[in-house]
Amino acid sequence: MKTLWKYAKMNRHDVILLGIVALCAALIYAGLFIFRAQNSPREKVAVVRYQNREVMRIDLSKDGVYTTEATLGTVTIEVKDGAVRVEKETSPYHYCSLRGWVKQTADPIVCLPNELVITIEGADDGNDINLRCTRTVRKNW
Amino acid sequence: MHQNRTKKLVTEALLLGAAILLQMIEPGLPLAVPGVKLGLANIIGMIALFLNGAGSMLRVNLMRVLLASLLRGTLFGTAFWLSLSGVMLSSVMVITARKFSKLSVIGLSVLSSVFHCLGQILAVSVIYENVYLISYLPMMWILSIPTGMLTGILTRLVFARIHKKGGIEDDIQL
Repeated sequence: MKTLWKYAKMNRHDVILLGIVALCAALIYAGLFIFRAQNSPREKVAVVRYQNREVMRIDLSKDGVYTTEATLGTVTIEVKDGAVRVEKETSPYHYCSLRGWVKQTADPIVCLPNELVITIEGADDGNDINLRCTRTVRKNW
Repeated sequence: MHQNRTKKLVTEALLLGAAILLQMIEPGLPLAVPGVKLGLANIIGMIALFLNGAGSMLRVNLMRVLLASLLRGTLFGTAFWLSLSGVMLSSVMVITARKFSKLSVIGLSVLSSVFHCLGQILAVSVIYENVYLISYLPMMWILSIPTGMLTGILTRLVFARIHKKGGIEDDIQL
């Protein structure tokens, strides 16, 4: 056991690197936290995209169970109490159903083998000031 | 010690074989957190780097991703592009860091893991045109620290065993 510890020795530079990595992770997390606090629309919809095109827009204020066809088979999406989850899907490791309930913006559910992404967005994004600004800017490019 | 071209080629082929094997069996290993993997195949990339240099590491890592996804039947699928961009970014960053910093193999492993995650997230953001996928990054980076340290330690253990058999200069410091 003592000899094994010999192999775990780190120098000063390694420790600094670990610190930087942890700090960056914390900063991104904090940034997302602030972003969510400032952008939490009253009416939320879950937007389901398959291979980059939108297939479904689900109102999160109504509970229900929805299904859609994806690469590996049928994906069952459940909405309850303003949160959404993937209830059942066909994939090797079931990561997206293990992800569980999601109710915030900027917190997508990704199902890579099924090429499916679920994001939560504001229902009234057409009137959203931020979004309208970006659109105008894009048009002017 | 003199290493001729044939020996280098055979070493690289053996490393590539080991890397593909580790890449193939890794998803079968049960871990506490679903979706997390140790990055065992990266040990082989590190060994290639320390034995035969930067070019060898790039070749072994690139071929490993190509051949492993060919064997799995996911070639040119989404997972393949994620894997490829992750491995390219991490290899380039590790080679740069080895040249310009004083990180040990543990630091390099953590760095490799961190940039592997970043490369994957960038690729998936581009594929799905969704910037919010970055919300996976903090958790991945925090987990990079223990997994990177573990693969670093494993690299040292493997290297010590190669060293015992002879064939490596004494002044290599990991």
